[in-house]
Amino acid sequence: MKTIDIIRRAGRSLRHAKARTILTSLAIAVGAFTLTIALAAGQGAREYANTLLTSNIDPQVLAIAKDKSFFEGGKTGPQEYIPGSSTIARPNGALVKRLSQADIDAIAKRSDIVSITPTYAINAQYITRSGQKKYTVDATTYDSGVTQTVIAGSLPALRTSITDDQIALPEAYVSLLGFKSAQDAIGQTVTIHLERTPSVTEDQIQQAIAANNPQAIAALTTKQVKDADYKIVAIVGKSATALAATTSVEISNNSAKALSDFSTSGTDSYHEYTIATASVKPGIDPATVKQDLINQGYGVQTAKDLQGLLFTIVNTLQGIVIGFGILALITSVFGIINTQYISVLERTREIGLMKALGMRGRHVSRLFQFEAAWIGFLGGVIGSIIAVVAGLSLNPWITSTLSLGDGNVLLIFQPVPIILLIIVLMLVAMLAGYFPARKAAKLDPIEALRTE
Amino acid sequence: MIEVKGVTKTYGKKQNAFLALEDINFVIPDGASVAIVGKSGSGKSTLMHAMSGLDRPEKGQVVIDGVDILKLKSKAVDRFRSEKIGFIFQSFFVQANESSFDNVSLPLEISNLSVRERKKRVLEALRVVGIDDKEKQKARNLSGGQKQRLAIARAIVNRPKIIFADEPTGNLDSTTGATIEKLLFGLNKQSGSTLVIVTHDEDLAAKCDMRIYIKDGKIDKIVSEEK
Repeated sequence: MKTIDIIRRAGRSLRHAKARTILTSLAIAVGAFTLTIALAAGQGAREYANTLLTSNIDPQVLAIAKDKSFFEGGKTGPQEYIPGSSTIARPNGALVKRLSQADIDAIAKRSDIVSITPTYAINAQYITRSGQKKYTVDATTYDSGVTQTVIAGSLPALRTSITDDQIALPEAYVSLLGFKSAQDAIGQTVTIHLERTPSVTEDQIQQAIAANNPQAIAALTTKQVKDADYKIVAIVGKSATALAATTSVEISNNSAKALSDFSTSGTDSYHEYTIATASVKPGIDPATVKQDLINQGYGVQTAKDLQGLLFTIVNTLQGIVIGFGILALITSVFGIINTQYISVLERTREIGLMKALGMRGRHVSRLFQFEAAWIGFLGGVIGSIIAVVAGLSLNPWITSTLSLGDGNVLLIFQPVPIILLIIVLMLVAMLAGYFPARKAAKLDPIEALRTE
Repeated sequence: MIEVKGVTKTYGKKQNAFLALEDINFVIPDGASVAIVGKSGSGKSTLMHAMSGLDRPEKGQVVIDGVDILKLKSKAVDRFRSEKIGFIFQSFFVQANESSFDNVSLPLEISNLSVRERKKRVLEALRVVGIDDKEKQKARNLSGGQKQRLAIARAIVNRPKIIFADEPTGNLDSTTGATIEKLLFGLNKQSGSTLVIVTHDEDLAAKCDMRIYIKDGKIDKIVSEEK
């Protein structure tokens, strides 16, 4: 008997038992619904994570630390002392070594690195402008590898930094610093004020005492100040996908270095950096540079590593939801086995007749397995259609509730995984139909056709 | 030609063994109409099952067209049934949910005929039995006589060499039964196929060319009418 004829007969048998077919396939539909949602949510979460990363991190960027253990939370416990190296305590109590200026210079010389920017420690006291109050401020280095939401003014193209006399301000400072509007602030000058306690050498103190000059002694202990003026080049808005940096003012690499040098001069943090970000030349795979630097003893992470970390979290959550979907499927498998057994019992005569007419047991078995496959197909289609309709109509609400930002959706439905899912469900249903089908195939036609 | 040689069939084992058929021998010429007559439990149905390849007696031969069907492998027996045998049952065994067309089409699907050839043959068979107007009707909506006509159409659609009819008029009133009998014998004469009727009805048996009387699993007597 031809397979197509068996499939047709299987479909007709199911149509004749509509209520039973639909109820059985609804059980599968629950599993299909859960799995479709899980697949869509996983895909959506991955794409969202990707959007987050690409709008926050340049894929060509490497995070470099002195010490491999930095990205594992740092080494705990005593370590060998290396003269001239400095360490910093991390919040978990672990100590990590810091990058020295020599390390930075060495990495900057590499041909595959465009630029390297240590995270400068800038202890700015306040930001202000003439005639306005003073406000606390956190200054960071302008990240040229990330696209930011510009409200007013303009930022240079990707991978080009702002100039040394420019500053980009977050939106919050517009009204604080007394500007009428964001547009009004562009081109205006703001001042960042820094202070430091001077570091004094023994010689300086002895000289001052020897000269018996109270003014000189006072001068030695007076706080030193630095006021740096910048022109506002842009007002940066809060982006829905930005992870941070919306409260920091941004200045160029050189400006940040100058401020940091001033702040840390004379301390053990002078020219010592916890971490640096380096930009790999476009066209060169950051992973190869990473490996080379790791061989030299540095700790390095690429943007992909961070992506991998986020994806691991997403995949774990998705795995849990898929687990529930599979549980629902297992339940429905027993439903199918049960229904098909009843179907075989009900249709004993039909099976007997088909066998008497010369139908092979193999084909009888296939007839019942195809019926199960149809049930799986129906359940898969019902479940995934409900999931897609529900998902698409709930997406806008989810996006606004979770503030994912415009254009970002949590549930992304792709046709290929859904089609694969339906195929898998059909196979699972066929597997469930195996035992009832075997029973049908083994039926003795004489027994089946005996008239009572 | 159907040759039955020394067919013996036992049910059960050892002390519970029951001899359903004991050393049955006869020859049926091609195109004959034959009645296997006996009371209920005499073994006439078992004999039909053995002759049609549904059952396997432990001893003896059933030679049809020179082939002993009891020696064939199960696949070959299934093929033999689908190509050479038609069945008609007392309780019709039509599939109530299926249309007349699909009921008659089943044996052709089993023997892998193309859709076009199937359509042609099914319509022809329905016309021969006189229910071609019921092609699209569900079998459950047919009367008893129409159901048996449908069963006959299903039995002849494959143009079998032998048609087995197990009490074909047993569930029908006498008028309908008579038309069905007429149809069966008419087909037997026209197509040249062999008709084997299993019955306990002497009147029906009397209409056949040859009557094989079965009693307690043994042949009681064989009556042949020379024409």
